[in-house]
Amino acid sequence: MGLVARKKLFSIMALGAMVGLLLLPIVMALPSPAIGEEAPAVEAGQAGGGQKEGEGEKVEKGRDVYYKTEGIVAGAPAPKTTDGPADYPRYNFESRVLIWFANQQHLYYGSFVLAVPIFCMIIEFMGVVTKDKALAKKYDQLAYDFIKISLTAYSLTAVLGGILIFTFLTLYPAFFSYLSSIFRPVMHIYALMFVAESGTLYIYYYGWDKMKEGFLKWIHLSMSVILNIIGTLLMFLANSWIGFMMSPAGVDEQGRFLGNIWHVIHTALWNPLNLHRILGNMAFGGGVVAAYAAYKFLASKTDEERAHYDWMGYIAMALGVAFLIPLPFAGYWLMREVYAYRQQMGITLMGGLLAWLFIIQATMIGILFLSTNYYLWQAMGRMRGAEKYQRYIKYLVFLLACGYMVFITPHTMVMTPAELKAMGGQQHPVLGNYGVMSAKNGGINVIITTTVLSFVWYMRGNKVSTVSWAKFGNIFMGVFFACAYVNIIWLAIYGYYIPANVRVGLSVPQVATTLSCLFFMFALNSVMMRGAKQMGPIEWGKISARSQYALIMLATAFTWMMGLMGYIRSSVRLFWHVNEIMRDNSPWAYTHTVGFAANMISANVLFFWISILFVFWLGSLTAKKAPVEAKVGVPGAVPQPAGSH
Amino acid sequence: MGALNNPVIAVIVSLIIAVGYFTMVDHYLMDMQGLDYWYLFRE
Repeated sequence: MGLVARKKLFSIMALGAMVGLLLLPIVMALPSPAIGEEAPAVEAGQAGGGQKEGEGEKVEKGRDVYYKTEGIVAGAPAPKTTDGPADYPRYNFESRVLIWFANQQHLYYGSFVLAVPIFCMIIEFMGVVTKDKALAKKYDQLAYDFIKISLTAYSLTAVLGGILIFTFLTLYPAFFSYLSSIFRPVMHIYALMFVAESGTLYIYYYGWDKMKEGFLKWIHLSMSVILNIIGTLLMFLANSWIGFMMSPAGVDEQGRFLGNIWHVIHTALWNPLNLHRILGNMAFGGGVVAAYAAYKFLASKTDEERAHYDWMGYIAMALGVAFLIPLPFAGYWLMREVYAYRQQMGITLMGGLLAWLFIIQATMIGILFLSTNYYLWQAMGRMRGAEKYQRYIKYLVFLLACGYMVFITPHTMVMTPAELKAMGGQQHPVLGNYGVMSAKNGGINVIITTTVLSFVWYMRGNKVSTVSWAKFGNIFMGVFFACAYVNIIWLAIYGYYIPANVRVGLSVPQVATTLSCLFFMFALNSVMMRGAKQMGPIEWGKISARSQYALIMLATAFTWMMGLMGYIRSSVRLFWHVNEIMRDNSPWAYTHTVGFAANMISANVLFFWISILFVFWLGSLTAKKAPVEAKVGVPGAVPQPAGSH
Repeated sequence: MGALNNPVIAVIVSLIIAVGYFTMVDHYLMDMQGLDYWYLFRE
């Protein structure tokens, strides 16, 4: 057997092993033949209904708190905890703050290592399908750079996961014991998936050089697909725990497990959480990699390095923003489901105790989009021909500023009694009108549409369309965007004049308007720019340092917002460990002040960035050992020979 | 195609398409939710 055939065989076997690892937990989850004999007995007991003697053994039934189905009680009730060393052992410090810190750090790293392999898969795929060999090699190098960063972070994620479990066991033993008893049927699956993820990741990384061409490259790419499926399933399983804590299902009102693990996993908020988290992780991962590239750009000594990291920063930012754009809509769906599950929970979030945190969240979302737009405008500076758009940027700034100001306007103000008296109420007579969802939906959609417009300008910056209908295309694009703005603002105003039950539906056409701009205008622009005349190459590396600080700002804002939203989602349970099932009787079952929460989030963000700088530094040590020829150029830079990793 | 490159015609055609499209989006997406987009005008 030749060397190539042997390599092919081994690679197919490795891929087969990964698929096997992926399927192993599913096989493990199937009922074992050894206990198959017991199943009919339970069935017989079930058939009788109610509380009944089956085969001489008492079978107790309970009613699912969410699905309202009956099931056989298969677990102990949720413990009724008391404040003491048995249920809440502690150090001379607030236990909640410790668990908050451990959870948040694990989540940051977990999100990062789940997102980056997805980027890697997309970029590697782009490299495989690109016909231009030099560009394909550059994509491949970039994908490799991405996975290299995530590898060290992966080890740190595992370490932080261990710390988190120890923190739970030490500080909240009763709660952790209950939660693990409920999820016992899938705990081993989670552990096996983790093993599968680690195995696949290391084979994928270390097999990069051996599988860089032809059929082997496709096998390698398939491995990244498997890797990401495993990673996503892992995240879904972890999401089921928080979904259960917020909106429990599969248990009766005493918290006893009723034997159906799918009900426990598939809670009311599981799917919205899954979607929101996957998009959020991707946006966050893109932001972190973009910040890494910005840091490397600013520290670069040569033009080649600057060109490489400028390109890397742009790709990471573009991928991150591609997932940021639909994120508010996923958030909106999550909130809708929260309201549908428990209206009071939604009110606590958006209209009550936690409402001010949502104002801070709106501010952060606005900052994300403003930073993105600013970066794109700066990035136009590196392409000849984009000057024609510079004079219109002030109008985009105006639109963004208007949308942003409406988006962050609070419904009611925090005031002293004297201020309250002077204003005649908690609502400002003019500005108070903007503190409602109808206006805010308009504001955020204006911001996102403007970001789409900035992207379209960026994409056509150094090009002139040569299609025969170019003039019509340009006019149509302008009119379509103008009508989209009018429609968004019109729907926002219209909402003030119709009842709340009709108004709530207006957000859907508003979102559709924004998405129409995104999909149709991107598609139209691509068709118009096919075979377009280039005014000059994109001069990678020739971008202002300010743009790189915008990328760092983007990443920091993502990190801060993740911390904030995690806190909001968690604290909406108020004094419950598991909503309405298991009460939190620790001394910390109260909601912190906004100031304390903000300081805590900032501390988490600071720790994450210091630790990830350490990860970047470790990565740079490996890079220094790589041969000089391994560096591959980027479009616009001096061509260099392709090398190995 | 030549007529469409006339700016006036291009603007008129674009306006008809865009306004028609967004009106349909508003109407049908409200209708799909069981809501009446024209509520205010029917009252």
